[in-house]
Amino acid sequence: MKTGFYLRLAIDGMRKNRRLYLPYLLTCAGMVMVFYILTGLAYSPLMDSIRGGMTMKVILLLGTIVIAVFSLLFLFYTNSFLIRRRNREFGLYNILGMNKGDISRILLWETLLTALFALVVGLACGMLLSKLAELFLLHMADEKASYALHVEPKGLLAAVVFFGAIFAVLLVVSLARVRLSKPLDLLKSEAAGEKPPKANWVFAVAGAIILGAAYYLAVTIRQPLTALAVFFIAVIMVIVATYLLFIAGSVALCKLLQKNRGYYYKAAHFVSVSSMAFRMKRNGAGLASICILATMVLVMLSSSGCLYFGGENAMRGIYPYELAISADSASPEDCTETLREWLLAVSREAAQGSESDLQIYTKLETGGMFRDGELEMERFYEDRSASELENVRTVYILPLSDYERLSGRSAALGADEALVWSSGKAYEGDTFAVKGCRKLRVAGTLSELPFRSEEYRSVTTSYAVFVPNWEEVASEIAECADSGQTGRGLATVTTVCGFDLPGLDGEEQIEIENRLIDIVEADMIDGTIPTEVASVSYKSRADGRSDFFSVYGSLFFIGIALSVVFIAAAALIIYYKQLSEGYEDQSRFDIMQKVGMTKREIRSTVNSQVRTVFFAPLILAGVHLAFAFPFVQKIIRLFGVNNLPLLIITSCLCFLVFAVFYVIVYRGTARTYYSIVSAVGERRAV
Amino acid sequence: MSILEVRDLKKIYTSRFGTQKVEALRRVTFSVERGEYVAVMGESGSGKTTLLNLLAALDKPTAGTVYLDGIDLARLPEKDVAAFRRDQLGFVFQEFNLLDTFTVEDNIYLPLVLAGRPHGEMAARLEPLARELGISELLKKYPYEISGGQKQRAAVARALITEPKLLLADEPTGALDSRSTDELLSLFAEVNRRGQTIVMVTHSVKAASRASRVLFIRDGEVYHQLYRGGDTNEQLYQKISDTLTVLATGGDVA
Repeated sequence: MKTGFYLRLAIDGMRKNRRLYLPYLLTCAGMVMVFYILTGLAYSPLMDSIRGGMTMKVILLLGTIVIAVFSLLFLFYTNSFLIRRRNREFGLYNILGMNKGDISRILLWETLLTALFALVVGLACGMLLSKLAELFLLHMADEKASYALHVEPKGLLAAVVFFGAIFAVLLVVSLARVRLSKPLDLLKSEAAGEKPPKANWVFAVAGAIILGAAYYLAVTIRQPLTALAVFFIAVIMVIVATYLLFIAGSVALCKLLQKNRGYYYKAAHFVSVSSMAFRMKRNGAGLASICILATMVLVMLSSSGCLYFGGENAMRGIYPYELAISADSASPEDCTETLREWLLAVSREAAQGSESDLQIYTKLETGGMFRDGELEMERFYEDRSASELENVRTVYILPLSDYERLSGRSAALGADEALVWSSGKAYEGDTFAVKGCRKLRVAGTLSELPFRSEEYRSVTTSYAVFVPNWEEVASEIAECADSGQTGRGLATVTTVCGFDLPGLDGEEQIEIENRLIDIVEADMIDGTIPTEVASVSYKSRADGRSDFFSVYGSLFFIGIALSVVFIAAAALIIYYKQLSEGYEDQSRFDIMQKVGMTKREIRSTVNSQVRTVFFAPLILAGVHLAFAFPFVQKIIRLFGVNNLPLLIITSCLCFLVFAVFYVIVYRGTARTYYSIVSAVGERRAV
Repeated sequence: MSILEVRDLKKIYTSRFGTQKVEALRRVTFSVERGEYVAVMGESGSGKTTLLNLLAALDKPTAGTVYLDGIDLARLPEKDVAAFRRDQLGFVFQEFNLLDTFTVEDNIYLPLVLAGRPHGEMAARLEPLARELGISELLKKYPYEISGGQKQRAAVARALITEPKLLLADEPTGALDSRSTDELLSLFAEVNRRGQTIVMVTHSVKAASRASRVLFIRDGEVYHQLYRGGDTNEQLYQKISDTLTVLATGGDVA
């Protein structure tokens, strides 16, 4: 009977505070749901059966960890907010003769009910939606899906254990809070903390300086690989600066405005500025969190979206042919007609007539630092400064005969003359030299290569140099490379034979690749492979695509899943903010009305305040996104997607979608706010 | 000429579905001369606060009229009411009603800022007023940092800074200790002596005994009134007490 009594009190308390509890319950359930969907998918047997399943599993588990950490932090935040709001009620119970043990029992029931609701509803929705998520993920990863519903016990167990633990910790925290408090404090706790805000100029200025420095770092990053650490520092600086600016900077700004009498003592600014100072003092941290969450969502969605949507193009860059076989040779002398004949023969045998646009060419590939028309062959660039890395070049030396054959044009070049193509801006200078080796006169530049090149290396600039006496030039460069101090094998000689397979789908293309591999291996075993071949490699676009999309498809999927969670969290923070402010402003607006403010004046004041507070995080998030843009662009290029317009479009689109969503949340919560604020006026009229 | 004229004022509250009607004011008629200090007395539920709300145009009467300086408050368009209240009336409330987000100074400026006055003029008005009310030292503080008596003096300053035609006070001493009450009442007397018209609703005999006239309201009607004449505060206090005793025992006052 006694148990029933506390249970009833708990249910009653939650029902009376449903404005507070319902969003909290839904958020808890939502987090359980997303957590289950991600873990469920990660542990699903599906991951073992599809291509790239292991990568996908790792990415999904990483996403799960992010969700877990975030859930922990966020539920702590909301729980402490709820307890603070309810302290008054508990204080009243205490004064009415309930001891802290009784209150603890009520809290225990409330936590149990919350946990039960969150797990049951969250897991139920998770099970229903996991199939949808699975289909979505497989679609994005370019895989075929089955439609059978599958419940993953490991995911269920993980969700129950993890969230059970979180709720247990939350309960302990709330109990400790009640136990440590005095009844009168409990009664008063809601009204406490009304000290006037003080502008902390040190923090405010520090925030501005740190933000400026972080922006500078982010924008001046040139080489994404070496600067990844720098970018992480910039991210941390941005987070710190955002908190400083919202907490201290905003109050400082209000104080500054208050000092400007001409501005401050105007009807339009007077009330807004002074109450804003109070508001920001209390809500700075919440707003900064919203801003950071929004930035995360935007960067995550725009970059993973750009990777995903730019994937097809990237594939063409990385895999210029649908299927290619390359044979490395030990030296340029080994690139004989026999070798070419053999490559063509095995390709045709494997493709069985379905090949088209077949191209074959030979290249010597090397690289190093390029200055004043001279290449210093070198392999390791790591310890170079950013400005030196600008000078790194990949260089291909190719036979002019290949150019003439593939382009159908003839070019009459003398010995030591060359045609040069550049992947960046056109080659300048009259000569091209390899340091300590050979100097060529540049007879002309090419705007286009006669064959399809691998464009993904566009992080550095590459040159293609066509020479008439290829064997002689290439041999000399290869010798220089071998004798150099930077290590052997700096120059590689490769003959590439690539072709498309029109009309064949991905699986059929992979089948042909496998047949090609089988044929080459058979030739190796029976010794019919030419002796000039040192090693053979294959590149299939279909194969690469399925790897690519299993990675970027699941990245984008995680991006969307995390965004949903972050957005829900941001919405809840916003909602609670509005709610608590509504209660605080109630009496304030009542007074203003008595002192002679019209309803309309009050409404417009409220509007401008709420709007400023509300949209400041969104605007700052947009600015953060804009400054992260150059870095995001470079990182994405590293992954093979070099498509600036696409990135701009995805970024803008993400921002727009987010802004629309934000406005919807704003409208919804603003209505709650008004209904609370105007409640006083109505009460008096009766 | 009277500054405030109340004629046959009637106010009936109807519950939400119109099933129950409560007559808060039945028929109130009185007038206040310029420079007068009138106290309105009555038990809780007698209609005092309703009357004050009607005088302040915070509410509309069911019947009857309120003329302030010749203007019919009920005919004032809705959009002008707030401005009228701001410019013509000053309010002092029991619970002070200072805004906790403003300093004392800014609280006092509030009505002037809403009226769009330049800062120089506001400062010029505040300086002598603050000195007179003894709050010059408190101007930069926040309401939560000062005592109840100090808060009420700040509220009086806010009410007076617009130089209102009428100062309305709703139980101004209700939340004050006896020393602060004495100080505030002296202040009101002083302000009145300089020509400020005051209407104060109270159930404190002490507060009422400082007025130049006392109106008694019972069951929604002006039941009786006392003029100070040549009485001292103590004599008036005695008369008020006697009247209240008679009122409470249900008798008739001669």
